[in-house]
Amino acid sequence: MTKDKFKAALKSFGLPRLIIAGFLLLLLIMAPFVGADLPTQISNIINRFSWNGILVLAMVPMVHSGCGLNFGLPLGIISGLLGATLSIELGFTGPLSFLAAILIATPFALVLGALYGWLLNKIKGGEMMIATYVGFSSVSLMCMMWLILPYHSPNMVWGLSGKGLRTTISLEGYYIGALAKIGQINIGAISIPTGTLLFFALLAFAIWAFLHTKTGTAMTAVGSNPAFARAAGINVDKIRMLSVIMSTWLAAIGILVYEQGFGFIQLYMAPFYMALPAVSAILIGGASVNKATIMNVIVGTILFQGIVTMTPTVMNNMIHMDMSEVIRIIASMGMILFALTRKTEAAK
Amino acid sequence: MKNKRQLLFRVGAILIILAICAVMFVIGRGHTVYFDNKETSYNGQTIESFYKVTVTVGDQKPSKLSKGDRGMADIMGQKLTMTLEITDKEGDQPHAHKVSMSVPYNMDGIMINIPALMQGLPQDAYMSEFIIETPDTGSTDEEIVTDEFDMGGDM
Amino acid sequence: MNKNTNKKASPDLFNLVQRFSVPLMFILICAVCIPLSGLSANMLINEIVTRMGRNAFLILSLLIPIMAGMGLNFGMTLGAMAAEIALIFVSDWQIVGIPGMVLAAFISIPISVLLGIFCGKILNEAKGREMITSYIMSFFINGIYQLVVLYLMGSVIPIKHGSIKLPRGYGIRNTVSLLSMRQKLDNLLAIQIAGVKIPVLTFIIIALLCLFIVWFSKTKLGQDMRAVGQDMEVARDAGINVERTRIISIVMSTVLAGFGMIIYLQNMGNIATYSAHSQIGMFCIAALLVGGASVDRASIGNVFLGVILFHTMFIVAPKAGAAITGDSMIGEYFRVFVSYAVITLALVMYETNKRRAKSAAGQQLQAAQDAEEAAGKEKA
Repeated sequence: MTKDKFKAALKSFGLPRLIIAGFLLLLLIMAPFVGADLPTQISNIINRFSWNGILVLAMVPMVHSGCGLNFGLPLGIISGLLGATLSIELGFTGPLSFLAAILIATPFALVLGALYGWLLNKIKGGEMMIATYVGFSSVSLMCMMWLILPYHSPNMVWGLSGKGLRTTISLEGYYIGALAKIGQINIGAISIPTGTLLFFALLAFAIWAFLHTKTGTAMTAVGSNPAFARAAGINVDKIRMLSVIMSTWLAAIGILVYEQGFGFIQLYMAPFYMALPAVSAILIGGASVNKATIMNVIVGTILFQGIVTMTPTVMNNMIHMDMSEVIRIIASMGMILFALTRKTEAAK
Repeated sequence: MKNKRQLLFRVGAILIILAICAVMFVIGRGHTVYFDNKETSYNGQTIESFYKVTVTVGDQKPSKLSKGDRGMADIMGQKLTMTLEITDKEGDQPHAHKVSMSVPYNMDGIMINIPALMQGLPQDAYMSEFIIETPDTGSTDEEIVTDEFDMGGDM
Repeated sequence: MNKNTNKKASPDLFNLVQRFSVPLMFILICAVCIPLSGLSANMLINEIVTRMGRNAFLILSLLIPIMAGMGLNFGMTLGAMAAEIALIFVSDWQIVGIPGMVLAAFISIPISVLLGIFCGKILNEAKGREMITSYIMSFFINGIYQLVVLYLMGSVIPIKHGSIKLPRGYGIRNTVSLLSMRQKLDNLLAIQIAGVKIPVLTFIIIALLCLFIVWFSKTKLGQDMRAVGQDMEVARDAGINVERTRIISIVMSTVLAGFGMIIYLQNMGNIATYSAHSQIGMFCIAALLVGGASVDRASIGNVFLGVILFHTMFIVAPKAGAAITGDSMIGEYFRVFVSYAVITLALVMYETNKRRAKSAAGQQLQAAQDAEEAAGKEKA
């Protein structure tokens, strides 16, 4: 009996996920044997998890409301970038600049999210493809804007002409490590960015709690059975719009958290493909196009960042061939393909 | 019956395609021919180079070679046809020759020594393979440029 | 293939304008940018003719999947990759000129067919999400392509010439020179009219493809594809093997994209090994949409109009941007933005029309039912 249940659980877990999880396990086991410094690697994985977690969390509201995977994440990321650059432009420094960035990014995220949500409501059924191209169009539009907008802060603009933002802006003196340094625990070579992890936990808990409120359950209903939701008197369009705004805002916060960990603001084409790692991370964690839980976010981000961190080091030490980029592409895109071809909902 | 005909057609089509590919392999083989107007020796005998040779391969630009010069031309296919205008010594009248030969399939770069060729020597005296040395740049690796963002480049 | 438009709701002129809104917009953009760019008419026409010869075949390969209802085939990148692999081999074997191109075309066929079948099968598993799936597919296969070209070639797959390999001994360099076949197809029957070089042979080949597409849409297979494109269930009821037809449409498109990529690369003169194919899908689809095509309807006229309008914008925008702001980067970003915006707009229009048609059909069905009920009540 248990053997059948085990088999059924494996089948619903899905072969690609098993392959990826198994691969990561293999890498972790091999690491000390090939001379990779395991504590440093684990530290890296934890750090990368802390940077990326919220971006992956941003996927959850829209999946719940039936808008599919948020390929239009760049829209929220742009709101965050506007917040970051304006915070520096207005003269905030140190950890305060992080707070200012969040405050400034929020209205942008709300407005852009509302527009995006309005658009998605008009095209129910084709959300994912259009989301992708909305993301691309907005990133390329902002590329023009970053050049034109009247920024003046000497830390951000090109030295020679004094006009137009640089491609990468260092956050030294601003909010680099703003969250990470709070309560940082160092155990030997492993450094744990407690602040960032707590922040992620806070937001994750907030989303989880929201999904259990009346509005939150309405959101889940809209995603799983729109006809039933409408019959129950729920305003489907309004709920979808709310989910898009939430997702966009989380993306804005997410990129700010990422920047404080990474240490740089990346403009121009950097946000272009940023949706894809987040999408594949949550899918690796067990989500599907119409079902995602917080656990999916946590597990998926750990697995994805684990592979991204471990593959280069282990491969380099082992066969002196760095195939990590190629493996990452194949694994993450393969995961998304797998999810897109599922007709039923995947495992929890 | 119908299936057998279909199968015959398909096999026939594949065979035709393979045949065309084989033909392409032969007629399309490109070679780079280098011709020297250099002094050379064969069996102890020294063969002098000419004062001036003008080599024309097909309808490419003619190469004027003085003593010791080298020219080159790209050809397609296994047959090399060139027109030589040779001036033996300074002040002589140039005399024209048309030379036609088949080049071996395997060689990418073919070196022809013109004085030896004109002497009527056997092929291994005037023809040799020219291999370009790819310098070993050691570990300086070339960075792979993947077009990350569909941005650069022209269409 | 004509989708039923709700004739009662909107006047014909409005529909016409809506269908051609994108080309009209582009004409406007070009009209503004051309004088700003400072390009002479002669230079512009020369560029457009070159690009027409270079890109038309690729864009024509997109027509067949649209006919079969698969939408915009972002998977054409797969055919492009097959062509690149074939050309790398041909270049290594030192087969030059037109024979080299023919050989590359033949070698690309089995690779394209395999990739096309794989793509088609996955798309059949993702019905209703074909476009996003083919889009992700192109990334996935790009990863496999990089695995083959960056790691297997030179190590497991024998490559004779060190000049195309990376210094480390395996993997192909960033650019593979195709000097040996550069523009050989274009130049073979080229004629010059008023200072404009016209690659006649290339255009003949493009014309042949157009004739093929017209002929094909009249064959049984072509009609089957149109039926599948109209309505999969009705086609299935009519006895058509829907899955197989869809796969065939993708395979054909991939093979044609492979040929088109060879024509493109012989004109360029070199292969940008890791980036040539990535832009192809996006720019070709944008050009097709600019020509007035939509996700479910595209004609040969759209292809040619699209090349003219899109590529004019493409050439002129950076120069106009430089003229206005002194920074040509603005123009370059602008043309990327416009390409993406065009696709976004086309996708949005397609989806809204689809929903409108569905709700109109629903209304008609409801009206018919009401009429039946009323008739039934009268009788009783």
